[in-house]
Amino acid sequence: MTAPRTSSGFITRPVLIALAVGSLGGVLFMAFLIEFDHYASQNSFCTTCHSMSYADERYRQTVHYNSASGVRASCGDCHVSEGIFAATWDHVRGGKDLFKQLFGPDYDDPVINALHLPEAAFAARRWFRDRDSVTCRRCHLQDAIQGTRADTAAIHREETEGKSCIDCHYNLVHRTVPDKSTFKREAWNRMVEEQFGLDPGAADRLLGGH
Amino acid sequence: MSIKPLSVPFRSLVLVLISFAALPSVAEKVKLDPGNWGHEAGSDCVSCHAKASSGLAQQWRDSAHAAAGVNCMDCHQAARSDIDAIEHEGQVIATIVSPKDCGRCHVKELEEHQGSVHAEAYSIIEKRLPALADNVGGSPMRAASCDQCHGSQVNVRGDGTLDPATWPNSGIGRINPDGSKGSCSSCHGRHRFSKAQAREPDACVRCHSGPDSPDKEIFEASKHGMVYAAHRDEMNLDAGEWVAGRDYTAAPTCVTCHMGAAGKLPSTHDVGLRNAWSLNTPVSKRQFLVIFEDGHKMELAADEAAPRRGTELRRADGTLGTVKTVATPERRRQAMTLVCLECHGKGFTESFMKQFDSVVELYNSKFGEPARAIMAGLYDRGLLTPTPFDEPIEFMYWELWHDEGARGRHGASMMSPNHAWWEGMYLVGRNFYSAFLPGARALAKEHTGTLVDAVLRGSEHHRWLDQPDQTSAILGLGRREGD
Repeated sequence: MTAPRTSSGFITRPVLIALAVGSLGGVLFMAFLIEFDHYASQNSFCTTCHSMSYADERYRQTVHYNSASGVRASCGDCHVSEGIFAATWDHVRGGKDLFKQLFGPDYDDPVINALHLPEAAFAARRWFRDRDSVTCRRCHLQDAIQGTRADTAAIHREETEGKSCIDCHYNLVHRTVPDKSTFKREAWNRMVEEQFGLDPGAADRLLGGH
Repeated sequence: MSIKPLSVPFRSLVLVLISFAALPSVAEKVKLDPGNWGHEAGSDCVSCHAKASSGLAQQWRDSAHAAAGVNCMDCHQAARSDIDAIEHEGQVIATIVSPKDCGRCHVKELEEHQGSVHAEAYSIIEKRLPALADNVGGSPMRAASCDQCHGSQVNVRGDGTLDPATWPNSGIGRINPDGSKGSCSSCHGRHRFSKAQAREPDACVRCHSGPDSPDKEIFEASKHGMVYAAHRDEMNLDAGEWVAGRDYTAAPTCVTCHMGAAGKLPSTHDVGLRNAWSLNTPVSKRQFLVIFEDGHKMELAADEAAPRRGTELRRADGTLGTVKTVATPERRRQAMTLVCLECHGKGFTESFMKQFDSVVELYNSKFGEPARAIMAGLYDRGLLTPTPFDEPIEFMYWELWHDEGARGRHGASMMSPNHAWWEGMYLVGRNFYSAFLPGARALAKEHTGTLVDAVLRGSEHHRWLDQPDQTSAILGLGRREGD
């Protein structure tokens, strides 16, 4: 007695093996992504590149790094979306940073880094705004914000219509950069020159070289 | 934006000085159409700021600005290109509201203020300041003291923030990011901008007190201050119009004499306009008020003939200006006198002015000029280093004119007998005879005859030194006859 050919002809041994291998492979791949996203969201991964140490330096002085309760927001907590697909996509997109690190300006140079910082800040803020500051909301529930000043709770209830966290709370963690609408490259370059003791105009030349 | 079709810069000033013709002797009303204010975003500012820093929102609610519909954005709005523009809750604003901003509506006040000794308070001392503020003090002292009255040069950093070394600051000669000079909130406390508050003597106290310009103390010690304290409730300080002799007669405040309307004399936001003398200089000078074609003004010692119309003069900030007209010290004195006459007779007023002038002339000839000549001699001979304040006598000389001498002269000008003498000219004399002269002689050594004694002999005021045998009981040691 053999099973009817019509129903069992497809499930052959190779198919079963392929399914088993594929499923295992899929599970392993998903596990890899989870592990990779987790690994690549850690501060230690991000600061592998020297250029990120400048961002790290400022961040370490803020409450997002040092909080009384011991809660610490890592790079990925803020800059990588929740969920394996979104997180993976963010990391894939973030690959351009790696590309630019390898083939672009010398971001490891603190002067070059500071000169290019505003554009990085504008892009990061746009990223937050496009996602309605969803990574902020991982930890901060708008309804639950009490604050330490008298009316912080009321402000977050009554004054936030049409606003996203990032609209008000920027320049919170990294070096102060003006909003794109009022940013003045000229003034920024002069400030960087003064900070690093460069001749006037040196910043423009450094930027122009890339 | 001009107030009237025929409005010219300093119209009222020129008219006062030329004709004293009858003018509306009241504070200038804003003549702009209300359509010029009431920014649509203003209500959002107030809604949030009623919760965040609610004090300032409440102060604004209590203000004439709020009553007239002038909101936060009307004053704080900025163009994206403004050097100090920042994005705030979706609006482009500037933290600093400069006189230029206020002057969008308060045209006359801005015109009068620009170029006044108040507006120039930083520019006038900018080059002199480091020798004291930085050498003897240090840059944190500048931000906390000198700059708080004279004003800071506000530095906007490349990241759009205001440099804490220069801001917050409401010094009256502040150099603002937009280039304008001054800070209206120096006297008009934000965000209420109360008329009554600005008319109070206390509006001036933050800066006009202390050893170098104790005008608060002088006023309080004078009959004017005494009467003010007793009748403060009759001062009508909240009145829309506040003309001395008409809207109030109980007492004068600082504003009354230096800025306020009195009788037919119009009010002015040029606080030095009515000052015939410079009183805060090593040697006092009667002074011209030079008014330039571009509306700016400058104090100029009246040692020589008044500059003619069209002459080019270099100003405190280094720029050149073309002279439009000059107010002589006599005309300025006349303007001040008009205030006095609202309450005093002509003879009384003129005689008081003679008493005051005599004190200034005495200070000049007895102490100010000789001390300056002795110092100049010591520097010329290389007996002092050019760097100020690295030798004790430089402090003696500085305090002689800048503190003690200014106190004495201010005391005489505003009728505090105590400040004129004990806090003023007595200390000048004590310093001069017991510290400065011995110090100068010690430095001059063999040159004492030419550098010190010759200068003293040039003034009759010091002849008493040649009579060392005149006894007196004043020290409590006087000998009675027969002892």
